[in-house]
Amino acid sequence: MLNNYKFNTTLMRILVYVVLVILVIITIIPLWLLLVNATRSTTEIQQGLSILPSTHLIDNYQILLSKGLNVSRGFSNSLFVALASTVVTVYFSLLTAYGIVVYEFKGKRFFSNFIVVLVMIPMQLTIIGFFQYMSRLGLTDNYASLILPLIANAGGVFFGKQYLESMVIQDLIDAARIDGASELKIFHSIMFPLAMPGAATMGIFAFVASWNNFFNAFILITSLDKYTLPMLVKTLRGDVYRTEYGAIYLGLALTVVPVIILYALFSRYIISGIAMGAVKE
Amino acid sequence: MKLTGINRNYYGYLFIMPFIIGFLAFGLYPIYNTLALSFTDYTLMSRDGSFIGLRNFEVLFEDQLFMKALGNTWLLWMLNFIPQIGAALLISAWFTNIRLRIKAVGVWRAIFYLPNLIIPAVVAALFNSLFAFYGPINQFMVRSGFMPEAMHFLQNAVVTRGIVVFIQWWMWFGQTIIIVMAGMTSIPVHLYEAAMVDGASSGQMFRRITLPLLKPILIYIFVTSLVGGMQMFDIPYLLTDGRGAPSNSIMTNNILMYMKFASSRGHIGAASAVGVLVFIMTTVCALGIFFFMRDRDESTFDKSIRKWFGRKNGNGNGKG
Repeated sequence: MLNNYKFNTTLMRILVYVVLVILVIITIIPLWLLLVNATRSTTEIQQGLSILPSTHLIDNYQILLSKGLNVSRGFSNSLFVALASTVVTVYFSLLTAYGIVVYEFKGKRFFSNFIVVLVMIPMQLTIIGFFQYMSRLGLTDNYASLILPLIANAGGVFFGKQYLESMVIQDLIDAARIDGASELKIFHSIMFPLAMPGAATMGIFAFVASWNNFFNAFILITSLDKYTLPMLVKTLRGDVYRTEYGAIYLGLALTVVPVIILYALFSRYIISGIAMGAVKE
Repeated sequence: MKLTGINRNYYGYLFIMPFIIGFLAFGLYPIYNTLALSFTDYTLMSRDGSFIGLRNFEVLFEDQLFMKALGNTWLLWMLNFIPQIGAALLISAWFTNIRLRIKAVGVWRAIFYLPNLIIPAVVAALFNSLFAFYGPINQFMVRSGFMPEAMHFLQNAVVTRGIVVFIQWWMWFGQTIIIVMAGMTSIPVHLYEAAMVDGASSGQMFRRITLPLLKPILIYIFVTSLVGGMQMFDIPYLLTDGRGAPSNSIMTNNILMYMKFASSRGHIGAASAVGVLVFIMTTVCALGIFFFMRDRDESTFDKSIRKWFGRKNGNGNGKG
């Protein structure tokens, strides 16, 4: 009886591991093929599949450059927008969340519920009105139109509120008040350093969201020298690269590698951050 | 002391003020502006347009392409959401099963989440290359004898839809696992122990304990996925020609909106009308599901928790 039970558990365990391995293969293989093909010449790619890298990485990079794709500028554009977005999101979201968590004011409950509702509103669908408004203000083709709206980032506030609720120490705030610190100073010099782990997690998400954002940038940014990486990917799909498979794969791979490296370093924060954003509401 | 009370209130408003101003300027006004534009025949070429009432909406409702885009968006979303939540429930149940004791749960999870971090535009371009006529998938299928000859995957409506669904699933199932697992680990172990003593099978425990207590989280996943799905753009836009090819099979709401916006004259009035209709539809569905289901569930959640533990221990959290 007990042996049978043990046997079933072992069998089940084997089945689970088999399924997990299959899922890992499915998850990894498209990315692996991308990285491998970035090192293979177009002829090699046309001749057949390989899961081992080749030696044409530099050649592909030369082709990529010769077609006029400015990868490094795309990188620095994306990096600038993503960093600015991160700073704006983290600062203003924590500011707002701190206001909700620490103070008792009329309408506080309504405001918190309103934030939750905002998280569920499909804001991308108002992009046309946003675009026309920005063009009246002369802010189209300007990164400000991508960054300023993040002052009111409902998802960030929601996350910040969950985080601060678990860590705000009223005694510390009171002590600082007795020492004569202003409320804003308490936020800046006491709460902010304490909230750093949460701010870092929020920052990673804000960074990735901005780094991956194609739609808004695609509509709002028009001049080629301001293109971000996802927009450059669209030019890779153009006619110029029609037959340069190796170069296309390399162009795509260049955007993927930094993300994988960052993920390898910060995966723990990212994963606990996702769980934190969802649980408790 | 009374004075500090007043001060606190005042500062609360001060702290949330930037958000409110930001929201009014960059959230609410664009919503209003999109609605206002949808009643006009504005184009990008003409600096001004005139009020034409509901004409844009009438045109849309007669437009087969709009109906097709709506139907496609719902179809593509549902076809990826159901297997996504199914896989997440199954794998999370395995990961949290005390009897199976799966090793390196953190590593598996971390790998499954990786595709979510890749730029969606890159993912679309990558799958376009993988499924190209001379691409790796064809090479593999033909060489290994699964297919007699190479096929134009991206010219076949069913296959192309399947690829979009697969990509969406591939990019999101890892995240759903993380969230579902966080919910599962927040369920008090005592509940399962008590049920086991009463002789419940693992299937019964899953249906009677796990699923009901998980409902708030499932609703969260459902609503956020729906809102994202209704705005699907990057993947179907960059997978084929950006016009929903083949034969509009992956034309989505946002692609149609963009096509009207980017048409030769830039019909932003008509594009706004698409945005407004989908916005209303999505918001009504999302908020409806959220408030209707959540209220009922929170009471059952609280009740079942209280029944077992009283109020104090009821607030388990999944951050451990």
